Amino acid sequence: MNDFGLFLNGINPVLFIVVPLGFAFGIPLLGMISKKIVKWVPVFVYSFVLVGALSNIPDVLDKPIIIQIGGFVPPFGINLVAGPVGILFSALIAFAGLMVSIYAVVYIKEGPEVRYHILYLLLLTGAMGVVLTGDIFNLFVFFEILCISSYTLVGYFGNKSGIESAVKYLIQGAIGSSLLLIGIGLLYGLFGTLNMADLARQISSADPVTVFIPMALMITGLGVEAALFPLNAWLPDAHSSAPSSISAILSGIAIEVGLYAVIRILFTIFGISDFIMFFVFLGVLTLLIGEMCAFSQNNIKRMLAYSSIGQIGLMVFAFAIATSHAVAGGLFQMISHTLGKGLLFMAAGYMIIRSGSMKTASFEGMGKRMPLTCVAFTIGAFSIVGLPPFIGFPSKFLIIQSALAKGTVLFTILTGLVLMGTVIEGAYFFRIVQVIYFKKGNGDSERNEAPIAALIPMFLFTAVIIIIGIYPKFVLGILDSAASELLNQIDYIRSVLG
Amino acid sequence: MDIQGVIHFMQNYTYYIGAFGLIFIGLFIMLVKRNLIKVILGLSILETGVNLFLVSVGYISKGTAPIFSNASIEGKSMVDPVPQALVLTAIVIGVAVLALALSLAVRLYQHYGTLDLRQIREQRW
Amino acid sequence: MRSIISIFLLVVIAWGMITVLQEIPFGSSETRVGQRYIDQGREETGAANIVTSVVLNYRGFDTLGEITVLFVAAIGLGAVLSTNRKKKKREIESASLVLYTGCRFLFPLILLFGAYIFIHGHLTPGGGFQGGAIVASAFVLVYLGCRGRRISETGSKAVESLGGLIFIGIGLAGLAVGGRYFLSNFLPKGELNTLFSAGVIPILYIAIGFKVGSELAGVIDHLIEDSE
Repeated sequence: MNDFGLFLNGINPVLFIVVPLGFAFGIPLLGMISKKIVKWVPVFVYSFVLVGALSNIPDVLDKPIIIQIGGFVPPFGINLVAGPVGILFSALIAFAGLMVSIYAVVYIKEGPEVRYHILYLLLLTGAMGVVLTGDIFNLFVFFEILCISSYTLVGYFGNKSGIESAVKYLIQGAIGSSLLLIGIGLLYGLFGTLNMADLARQISSADPVTVFIPMALMITGLGVEAALFPLNAWLPDAHSSAPSSISAILSGIAIEVGLYAVIRILFTIFGISDFIMFFVFLGVLTLLIGEMCAFSQNNIKRMLAYSSIGQIGLMVFAFAIATSHAVAGGLFQMISHTLGKGLLFMAAGYMIIRSGSMKTASFEGMGKRMPLTCVAFTIGAFSIVGLPPFIGFPSKFLIIQSALAKGTVLFTILTGLVLMGTVIEGAYFFRIVQVIYFKKGNGDSERNEAPIAALIPMFLFTAVIIIIGIYPKFVLGILDSAASELLNQIDYIRSVLG
Repeated sequence: MDIQGVIHFMQNYTYYIGAFGLIFIGLFIMLVKRNLIKVILGLSILETGVNLFLVSVGYISKGTAPIFSNASIEGKSMVDPVPQALVLTAIVIGVAVLALALSLAVRLYQHYGTLDLRQIREQRW
Repeated sequence: MRSIISIFLLVVIAWGMITVLQEIPFGSSETRVGQRYIDQGREETGAANIVTSVVLNYRGFDTLGEITVLFVAAIGLGAVLSTNRKKKKREIESASLVLYTGCRFLFPLILLFGAYIFIHGHLTPGGGFQGGAIVASAFVLVYLGCRGRRISETGSKAVESLGGLIFIGIGLAGLAVGGRYFLSNFLPKGELNTLFSAGVIPILYIAIGFKVGSELAGVIDHLIEDSE
């Protein structure tokens, strides 16, 4: 506890937030010297953060690292909690961030590029802050960084649809943030503290009816970003009008982080330990609506966006069951969704550029024109659907197994509905794959592959998807301890407050 | 709650009523109005209400500002400094969101020639 | 129809609020954490203004996030407005001599006042954000009174970046050299209620003041340019 410098055994997790921020502040100065350097900055920063996050894994499996900011003991100062959950998410954010930043080196060619890279760094910093912080108001601040930078990036191209989606997203997001802030204000009024562990300790002895109102406000506020039904009207527009690299991050990181905040507040602060019927139904409903809307789309990016809603529904379903197996499955599903959807959006980005349209019909014969990209797309699609040997299979399997382990008729029926969602998902993804490979394209069938800098991250994503798909034991250890961190409120309080 | 209770509530919670009055006015404008500038105004009112609410949470009856401007001041009757720090942060965040919203409104007007959200429907299901 | 649903929704929220607010009596708040800041803030941070010590020391990480939010907005606003911007020069009617001279006369005074506010942030009400806003208001005055004058974009960008980098640098110095915690107050605290007291707080507030001032001025500059 007393040897806190730049380096603990691993790299100090506060640097995961501070280093990207420092570089983001410095980019305008760098941009004056050379514009070429700027696009490599995110690559460099997130390689560092990825190494840092991985270096901390052995320590946090033992016990969570508590970092006090400014040297004040919690609850009097802000503290970061780098437990298994925090490190798992920061590694995921760093990995996806690194891959997408390599992709963006060649993908982002027009518009205010320097500003793109600053906002990209800040978006991921906001996400990193949300997953690491142990203070509820600090969570709000980082959440706002995440939201505001994503509003801007959605409208990055400045075209009609982009600006319109950004406006819609901003209005809904702003209402959500205000509700969240009211909830935080109420909690402060009730308990006089903002530290999550301290709040958790006091809430367990408070009147449940009084506590329910701030909880409802906060969940509603965060639910906008987490795309819970019916607060997700912004999502398809925003994800489809953003640049594809940003769509990958929004689908892969932003909504997951929103969902993380929801479950952190539910499990850790409000100490909900039994399964939550409301969220079980909400999850299944979100899943079915998302998948059905996705099925009826003929615009590829909107289809992928709706599929993200479906996947979020599946994760909500898993977390709402609230057994340690199910929560581990939900976290696993988050990883597999980040990897799969990131890969799909990245591949789709270049397929759209080459075919010149977002309509699925225009991808006819793509399998010949850009074989490697299409293989990546297909693997991503199969992984999202949940076919072995890809990562989507063990994660979905874990969720369904733990839902069936509940043993009641209701859960069996709900599991049936979830499987039905998967069938719909399979139907529309196979339709796309069929269009890509088995329809003869009219027009040129010359080979025109995506550039190498875009293929490298796609290849690495594919590799991780297959490796974890074959050896899920790789991540199951950290997933189990992450699930027990989320469900074990007492241990969390003890590790923070001593 | 009977009439007496309501009157009692009104007397003791004037600031809360003011704050939530602003919050509800702001929310109502944002939910009902279809002109983007009016929606942004609603957002501004909503944020003002939230800030007023945060400050009044930390108020202590007959309290003074938490500043020791000379050595003789006692710390007993000072109001809670934390909500004031939170409000400072919340105001800055509000300014940031408003500025961004206005810039998006400018661009939206350049594209569509209108700020009526009913007529701006490029994106559909 | 829409308004009926909205009113119904608001009534539900209002009912909930009334339930909770009865537990939070106005005028006597639960201040366990706040009371400690009042009791020990002077020794722990050396600032006479307890709000400042909360903003920059106890909850300094929030403030780092806060300047980041403003930075995001400034950068994002530039990104949104810069795409396909038409560079056109328009004839601007110049202001009358009285207005022009008055603005030029007031400009340095307002800057000075803004600087006073953020330098004395640890002693009197005010601080970097308030001072920065005042500095930005001086630029608004110039835009209104002396039309056609602009702040240099390069200069404001550089100030913005340097302000942020100084904040981060001091935080990292606290981590590496000082108390081994990020953002710890490692400089000598000095005597209470003097200008050179409170360790890193005045330095941080000066950095924030410059950053906020240039950012807000930049935001206004962008909006003016685009609406002209």
